[in-house]
Amino acid sequence: MALPTLVIFVKLFAGAGETWGHIVEYLLLRYLSNSFYLAIACSLLTILLGVSTAWWSTRYEFPLRKPLEWLLILPLAIPSYTTAYAYAGIFDYGGSLELLLRPLSWGIPKVDVMNIHGLVLVLSISLYPYVYVACRAFFLHQSQNLIEAAQLLGGNSIRNFFKLILPIARPAIVGGVILVLMEVLNDYGAAKYYGVNTFTTGIFKAWFGYEEIETAVYLAALLLAMIFSLIFLEQWQRRRKKFTSQDKSRKPLKRILLSKPKQYLLLGMIALPAIFGFLIPVAQLLYWAFLTYESVLKASFFSIALQSLLIATLAAVACVLFAVLLLYTSHWNYLKSIKSLSKFGVLGYAIPGAVIAVGIYIPSLYVDRWLMKMLGAKVGLILTGTIIALIYAYVVRFLAVAYNPIASGREKIQNTLVEASYSLGKGTLFTFFKIEFPLLQTAIFSAMILVFIDVMKELPLTLLLKPYEVQTLAVKAYEYASDELVMEAALPSLLIILTGVLPVIILNKLIRRD
Amino acid sequence: MLLQTQNLSKNFGTVKALDQVSFQLETGKTYSIVGESGSGKTTLARLITGLERPDFGSIHLNGKLIASGSFHLSAEKRAVGLVFQDYALFPHLTVEKNIEYGIAKTKDKKRIVESLLTLVNLEGYGSRYPHELSGGQQQRVALARALAPEPQLLILDEPFSNLDTSLRNYLRTELFNILQQTGVSSIFVTHDTKDALAVSDEILILRNGQLLQQATPEKLYQQPATPYIAQLFDFLVALSPQLVQKFGYSCQPNRKYYLRSRDFKINQDTDYQIATQVKRSVFMGTYYTTYLQIEEEEIMIEHQEELKQTTMNLGWQEADLLIFD
Repeated sequence: MALPTLVIFVKLFAGAGETWGHIVEYLLLRYLSNSFYLAIACSLLTILLGVSTAWWSTRYEFPLRKPLEWLLILPLAIPSYTTAYAYAGIFDYGGSLELLLRPLSWGIPKVDVMNIHGLVLVLSISLYPYVYVACRAFFLHQSQNLIEAAQLLGGNSIRNFFKLILPIARPAIVGGVILVLMEVLNDYGAAKYYGVNTFTTGIFKAWFGYEEIETAVYLAALLLAMIFSLIFLEQWQRRRKKFTSQDKSRKPLKRILLSKPKQYLLLGMIALPAIFGFLIPVAQLLYWAFLTYESVLKASFFSIALQSLLIATLAAVACVLFAVLLLYTSHWNYLKSIKSLSKFGVLGYAIPGAVIAVGIYIPSLYVDRWLMKMLGAKVGLILTGTIIALIYAYVVRFLAVAYNPIASGREKIQNTLVEASYSLGKGTLFTFFKIEFPLLQTAIFSAMILVFIDVMKELPLTLLLKPYEVQTLAVKAYEYASDELVMEAALPSLLIILTGVLPVIILNKLIRRD
Repeated sequence: MLLQTQNLSKNFGTVKALDQVSFQLETGKTYSIVGESGSGKTTLARLITGLERPDFGSIHLNGKLIASGSFHLSAEKRAVGLVFQDYALFPHLTVEKNIEYGIAKTKDKKRIVESLLTLVNLEGYGSRYPHELSGGQQQRVALARALAPEPQLLILDEPFSNLDTSLRNYLRTELFNILQQTGVSSIFVTHDTKDALAVSDEILILRNGQLLQQATPEKLYQQPATPYIAQLFDFLVALSPQLVQKFGYSCQPNRKYYLRSRDFKINQDTDYQIATQVKRSVFMGTYYTTYLQIEEEEIMIEHQEELKQTTMNLGWQEADLLIFD
């Protein structure tokens, strides 16, 4: 799993490509400032959206609360590049906004979203659910006693929120924001479409534009350094304080019932992110899909959809397999060193897809050259540009997505069950298949679905490593958009969203049933 | 000899969970390991079952080495059964499947399960799932499951701690009767001396990782090795050497003297006695707690009868005095 990182580190000593000097001179500062601006602005905006919606929806009672709680998560089902296409289309000349406003004969506002500020808005509106989900889970587990204590001490609700709730929710907020930042730094499709130069677009430009993988390695290394300092920061802030209350007799939070007008005001405020993050982009895509379905809906489209599903399923199975392997090699081993290895293995989620692609492309080329030398030229490229390298890259990137639900599922199985099996004369493997596996089924299934959704949406890594003849829905949508056919990108995008939303609903049912 | 341990030791970090524990158990008897939390009793049980490895020392089961500092026979090969404190019934398997889990393939599983269900009074419950049973029923399933592979030794970890006190006495007897019928050698791990007294042939007292005494319940009561053991059974009053001398008893140096509270006699003719002043007497329901002044010393005793006067004669018999080094 550490291979891509190691490769990049080793390759750093091989010297930079010819264009590296050019990039340092003209582009690097731009990459740095853009990426920093994106990171900071998106963090602030997602915190604002995520924390407020999470707090209001857990603390207050208002109409349509249950469906809204759901709707607030759904922007995650839309790849951020798709949201970017949709908003570009809405604010374009002759775009949807103009079409809608023209009959009213109002002045048509000229809004240009195709810049870095627009990118911040689009990314924030599609990524805030990471913060929302983390904070919501945290607020739901807060004790009523804590807030009652604060009220008795004489704080009003606004003061309580800023003085008490916000500080103790910090780990949850930071956890959510870290995910947002990783997605922001990973993003390629949206930044490319909006013409914003970031590290990730830089890696693409170096690789495909200048055809200099050495330069891509240098950019990847810089990006990696940023990511690792982020991870370090998060670990450091988490170590300093312990925020979880040990109070077992806690009462669940009671929701506050406001007056009717206030309830509707709240409903409106909470609904806004969901409307902008999900409903509007989806409406735009549906409109485009309606305009273009005749030209897009060809036999090749179904073949692409099928390939997408197949690749995502393969990747999901592979990830789950490796996650279980990783979990149990550390479980069944007494060595401490192997236990820490499992932590290292899941770091891949933090590494942007483009970096992983660079880190896998180089060694797979070496291995293939070596294989050809050993077996003769006729074997061709076994790894480079094949499905094997692609699946391996997905495993590196999404192992954590599979690992976390399975690991937390494993934690819920009391150790005594496993020990009971041992004491009844059964070995570790028998125990795994008869006791742990049946009890882990839901967790394993959730893990597969989560990886499946992520792979369906994945763009940068797939673009860089996919075999030439293989197409996925995400790649197809990207290609349409880059070829100035953004309307045609709607249908593949909608299909991705559908494959994202449906499994989540099934998953929710499954977890409820448990 | 069923089980023998020698200098058995286990550390968790810097904590000595078990410190050079040596003892021997005989086949067919019922034992109890008694200790408060942190005494090392659970660690001892886990070492015997093979769920934990000793740092040094050894364990022999039926004369065969099963664990030492360098050797570890894994739990599944030991034939030591364990009834867990939380029962650890497999939630996705029925009662029947739970019980037959540990039975060897070559055996007639159905017949064994049937007879075990009869033994634990759960006929007809075979197709239920663990969550459909009460706590007491779950415990009996756990017992049946542990007995199914016919272990050479059965360990029961805090078997009564999850049960209502009102049911406890009844279930204790029932559990004991079931074990008697099977004739299996067993160890109860418990923090409750009363539970241990009710079920065991011999009791092992653990404290701070050390084995204080192994004896029959009677011997443990009559000749406790330490004051700690004596106070497990009774409320113990410590008497300073000066105080003992005031009663007229001639003290030896460097000894500690104790009396069980109920061995004090009030206004009776005894071997040793002294006049005392009643300072305060509190009614506690089934007994009184009384503070007595003896010259400049004060002691507290528990007794049954109400005290009417403010002065009285406090005395005791020589045979009741507990003397420790």
